[in-house]
Amino acid sequence: MLRYRERGELHKDFHGSMNAAVEYVGSRYGRDGLRAVFKATAQRVYRSIYEGLKAGDWSGLVEHWRYFMDREGADYALSVTDEAVVMTVKTCPAVARLHKLGLTPSGFFCDQTVLLNEAWCEGTPFEAVTEITGDGSCVQIIKRKTLNVQGRGI
Amino acid sequence: MIPSDQFVRFYNEVFKFLDAQGGDALEEYYRVVSGQQEMHCLELFKTQGLAGMKAYWDRIAVEENCDMTCTLYDDRLEINMNRCPSLSKAMDNDAGAFPRYCDHCPGWVIPLLEKAGYQCEYDMVDRAVPQCRMTIYPADPGRPSRVLLSGCRHEAER
Repeated sequence: MLRYRERGELHKDFHGSMNAAVEYVGSRYGRDGLRAVFKATAQRVYRSIYEGLKAGDWSGLVEHWRYFMDREGADYALSVTDEAVVMTVKTCPAVARLHKLGLTPSGFFCDQTVLLNEAWCEGTPFEAVTEITGDGSCVQIIKRKTLNVQGRGI
Repeated sequence: MIPSDQFVRFYNEVFKFLDAQGGDALEEYYRVVSGQQEMHCLELFKTQGLAGMKAYWDRIAVEENCDMTCTLYDDRLEINMNRCPSLSKAMDNDAGAFPRYCDHCPGWVIPLLEKAGYQCEYDMVDRAVPQCRMTIYPADPGRPSRVLLSGCRHEAER
């Protein structure tokens, strides 16, 4: 069950505020600064999702992705198998909003996805792979870590 | 992607991070945000004055699901926020609200209003209560902008 489930109107201009925020923190404090903020967001704000992932359960993350991508009107596909969750974003609503506002996405803009996913998987049985495939498109994969048994003769 | 619905909870973490850097990192950020908000507001406020401000905040009230009234008088605009969705979300948050979360609002609003030729009395009432009041009026040297916390009983909370 989602910890946060907003309803009602959307203020999509907050994507512009996000663009400014990541540019501000990233340009002054580097990616380490951004990493600290997104780690706090992933693991403290979204505590229930993170606790689920630590316990090997990605259902909270999947529900969160589905609910908010639908709510934002994203063009995306999401598949869940035993080994991985794969979300393919064809049109990112956040990037689309920046273009509508006439804003150029910060070089740090997609770190909200890359670093959030990275922090969600930290200390869990999962790893995150986020590939930016174009302007407003990406593939996000949360997959089970494979054991490194090389050299152990197993 | 952080959903637009949840930007304020991320914003709340940015404030905590900048506050931990010390100095005037947070205040500098408010000034930068104010400059960025000029894109949305400055021309409107300069050309249409108080009526333009009412149009802006009426739109925000709908998009951000605010419980507020925005009343235009000949000489002022009065905004009464009965339930601020921004602080409400920051408080309804497993990470907890930054104690001075409310400060960002007058932090960006007042410099922008002054650039447009207006001043403002901003009563945050109490940083732990999602309510505030704002009165905006044409610039008057005898009545400079100010920020109040009228609902705080203890000096230490201010």
